[in-house]
Amino acid sequence: MAQLTADRRVLRADLHGDRIRAASGSMVAFEGDIDFKSAGMGAGGGMRAALKRAVAGESLSLMDCTGHGRAYLAKDAMDVLVVDLAGDTLTAESQHVLAHTDGLRLDVQFAGLRGMTSGQGLATTTVTGQGQVALVSEGPIMALEVAPGQDLVVDPDAYVGCRGQLQMGLVSGVSWKSLVGEGTGEPFSLRFSGHGLVLVQSAER
Amino acid sequence: MQTWNPATLPADDNVNPHVFCVALSGEWFMAKGAMLAYYGDVRFEAVTAYSSVASWVAARFSSPVYVQDWVVAAGHGKVLLGDRGFDLNAYDLDDGNLTIKANNLLAFDQRLELKQSIVPGFVTLLGTGKFIASSNGPVIFVEPPFRADPDALLGWADCPSPSVHHDTEWMSASMAGMLQGAMGRASGEERQYDFTGQGTVLLQSSEIAREDPAVLRLIESQTQLLTTSQAGTLGQRLVARAQQQQH
Repeated sequence: MAQLTADRRVLRADLHGDRIRAASGSMVAFEGDIDFKSAGMGAGGGMRAALKRAVAGESLSLMDCTGHGRAYLAKDAMDVLVVDLAGDTLTAESQHVLAHTDGLRLDVQFAGLRGMTSGQGLATTTVTGQGQVALVSEGPIMALEVAPGQDLVVDPDAYVGCRGQLQMGLVSGVSWKSLVGEGTGEPFSLRFSGHGLVLVQSAER
Repeated sequence: MQTWNPATLPADDNVNPHVFCVALSGEWFMAKGAMLAYYGDVRFEAVTAYSSVASWVAARFSSPVYVQDWVVAAGHGKVLLGDRGFDLNAYDLDDGNLTIKANNLLAFDQRLELKQSIVPGFVTLLGTGKFIASSNGPVIFVEPPFRADPDALLGWADCPSPSVHHDTEWMSASMAGMLQGAMGRASGEERQYDFTGQGTVLLQSSEIAREDPAVLRLIESQTQLLTTSQAGTLGQRLVARAQQQQH
């Protein structure tokens, strides 16, 4: 079973004859016998997802890494976090996905109004299944718990992803508009309720 | 993976080197865009709007140039602050004064008073209270006499405002060549801030500066010092500069 290990800003991927998928161009070094090949249109979820992705403007270009050895992956010196999934779903902005193991399935989910307002396209990426996914972020990721009666409001620029049974709503209005800069910020923030975890980075994009 | 909730988040302390958590109970001044996320019942109002509700705001926030970049956060909850992934630090002022680069000031509690510094791009905090500032890399504390690069200068406490020092060689060269050519001959290091007297100077270990929208408003407000003909000359020079940069 391929193993992903985060080492601050570098991800170590140990391959034992199996396969992982990683963001195109993220390999910085490798040892052993590893093949890198563009995953092309099939980058997670097959043709249908690729089509949805093209329509929605969610861009995620992946490559297949197969073989024996260790690959070092990184992106823009961003911090790396490895999340273990056991059959549940992680939602993340596609530009934060660095790599994932073979047992996981990537799909596109329409984000509706939120994607429109944060200028990141209409869709976000969902990761489902059993395995590991590596996320990159500006500054370390914080995992913030959301529980009933314990809502969390997040700046769309700091939002990385979430997991669990969460509802996402938009907060707008005079109060929020006065908080973000003139013309530079979005006139919305995200309010999470329900039960789950929200991943937040420490810098605005 | 470590997770946080409102009960486990620290109160008025760092969550990690880049994120600070304010336990809000009452009012804080915060820079626009500094908030990453919050739990609880928190309202954010523009400083201008809030001053009509609470008259003390106008007395505490005495800087028309920066007023549009700030909000008042009121209510109860935990507010997480961050700034471009820079290092964040909280400072306690005890009946003191500290001047800091306006871009690097993220938040201060409502007991402190903010004034505009005479040095452009800097603000002064007065009184007793807590404030949060960011720095690119760790903060370095030095004592005067000291000369600092304007970009690396984060602020200073308890000492008089600095004067501008120009490199002697550069000065004699520009005097010999008559001052007109002086603007073009810059190594970027001939201008320094010179600190004298008692106090502490704060430096950050990087020179990356962000465009401060308030600098434009500040300089514009100072053009009132010019006579009409002087203002016309300045206008012509600025137009010439803009055209030169286009080519």
